[in-house]
Amino acid sequence: MSDEQQQAPVPALRPREPWQTGYWGPTNPDEHPAVIAVRARFPEAFEEAVNFRDEMTIRVKREALREVVAFLRDHPELRYNHLTDLTAVDMLNLRDEPRFDVVVQLYSIPRRQRLRVKCGVNDGETVPSLVPLFAGANWLERECYDMFGIVFEGHPDLRRILLPDDWDEGHPLRKDYPLRGYRDYVQPGFERPAPRVRGSLPRPRP
Amino acid sequence: MIDFTQPTPVLLSEERQITETRRELVLNMGPQHPSTHGVLRVRLTLEGETVVACDPVIGYLHRGVEKLGESHRYAQFVPWTDRTDYVAAPSNNLGYVLAVEKLCGIEAPERAQYWRMIMAELARIASHLVWLGTHALDIGALSVSLYTFRDRELILDIFEKFCGARLTTNMMEIGGFSRKIPPELPEMVRDFCRYFPKAIREYEDLLTENPIWLARTKGVGIVEPEVAINYSLTGACLRGSGVNYDVRKAMPYLLYDRIDFEVPLGTHGDVYDRYLVRVEEMRQSIRIIEQCLDQVPTDGPLMAYESNYVIPPHETVMTTAEDMQRHFIWVIKGFSPPKGEVYQAIEHSKGELGYYIVSDGSPIPYRLRIRSPDFVNLQSLPYMAQGAMLADVVALIGTIDIVLGSVDR
Repeated sequence: MSDEQQQAPVPALRPREPWQTGYWGPTNPDEHPAVIAVRARFPEAFEEAVNFRDEMTIRVKREALREVVAFLRDHPELRYNHLTDLTAVDMLNLRDEPRFDVVVQLYSIPRRQRLRVKCGVNDGETVPSLVPLFAGANWLERECYDMFGIVFEGHPDLRRILLPDDWDEGHPLRKDYPLRGYRDYVQPGFERPAPRVRGSLPRPRP
Repeated sequence: MIDFTQPTPVLLSEERQITETRRELVLNMGPQHPSTHGVLRVRLTLEGETVVACDPVIGYLHRGVEKLGESHRYAQFVPWTDRTDYVAAPSNNLGYVLAVEKLCGIEAPERAQYWRMIMAELARIASHLVWLGTHALDIGALSVSLYTFRDRELILDIFEKFCGARLTTNMMEIGGFSRKIPPELPEMVRDFCRYFPKAIREYEDLLTENPIWLARTKGVGIVEPEVAINYSLTGACLRGSGVNYDVRKAMPYLLYDRIDFEVPLGTHGDVYDRYLVRVEEMRQSIRIIEQCLDQVPTDGPLMAYESNYVIPPHETVMTTAEDMQRHFIWVIKGFSPPKGEVYQAIEHSKGELGYYIVSDGSPIPYRLRIRSPDFVNLQSLPYMAQGAMLADVVALIGTIDIVLGSVDR
């Protein structure tokens, strides 16, 4: 380590909020360019825009999800061109309708901005697949189908991915799925060992 | 219902049979094949030696970590993050801990943030060393793995000195570190930084201009930049194609905005460029660690003192009644973050590691999603393997840098 590096002044801590570790655009939904653009372009499908911890979430109707994401991707000033994540949340314990939220995290590489797009979907309804827009949505939607049972319409290859193909017990990340599964697993060829009683082992003789 | 007492019937599909008109062969690579890392199974359709179709089959290591996260309290889940990507455990701790801190609205002290950066960068080097050794081993250069695993031991020694564990470290906690920094630790890290550039030169002497290595990696598995973005690639797979996206630069977390480092970019997007990018990343990590060691305060708190969300320090738990009660509540009931949802991404050694947490105001996360980088990166394997030779598939699996614990979760 040279002397110059040791004596280099430490830059001052720039003022920021504790949780402000990423950039999600303006915190006021009425000033956010993506919210303004989506609200103007899709007046019927747009439902609400929520800000929490500086993260902007847009909620749209499920029928319009693909159009909204395509609009956000192709808009010359928004350019959300990277599908970071696609997942779902089972809202069974939090509200009545709709049951699931499909959550899409978008990121704009040229503008360095994130955005979250959500849509609600009930059990038995379908969500338009994002695979025609992003090839990266393929496995994410398969995982979503595997874990929640949400069917993505237009997906080229919708089958289970993490669980075995012949899994017949439903979708484990649903809130009504018990933590240990429905079935009492018995390993073939082995009987269930007798429960050990505490202190039942004989003590070694001195 | 499956009757587990009966033997599984063996089904011979039509695809297995070679007929006069159909000359394709379906070949199962894995899940126990020595050169598919972990328990990855790849179902290859071959025409001669050329790959016609490729279907990665994953899930052999699926443990339901996300479901487990919905049944553990926030602080109890930190050890589980070690078990997702076990070759870079501190980085996983960091991503989860930052997400919870963002949800609670707290921040670790400056000294803890510097040490988090040092540990995360050491984890990146350790992960890249495992990758380099196994990748070279797959392609046929046995001796590189002997060198890389020798040097990885030094990093594991540093981890062991700091937290007592070598692989599943569980070193970061919500609010900072609860352990003290051992007084000899900075000098150990400095010794490693002095030693390691020489070691990188050794690996490069072995590989970078090796004609066999060049023949096996150059022009193999080319991913164009727009395809890489379309496949949601992150990390070295994306930067090897020349797309400049590094979470440390794009959306700095911790104190990366104070550190001077560069993001290496590839030009061709083939296996060789991704190798060069990762080797250069190790050098940049050494730069980051050296700057952190220069800037880190030698004294000061390592844990935020926040009455609700952070475990109280051990000394005051033993001496004051209030902290003893807080400690009791924190351990027995856990803490309750506000209602809301956060997504926190960090630059893991394999790409962007994101934690998405939905909180309903209870001490248990309502939904905990792990966006693991290698799960998303692995789905570009069929694209890369299309039309490649059978022997190249091994190189392609290696270049994506997967750890099956993280892919299957």
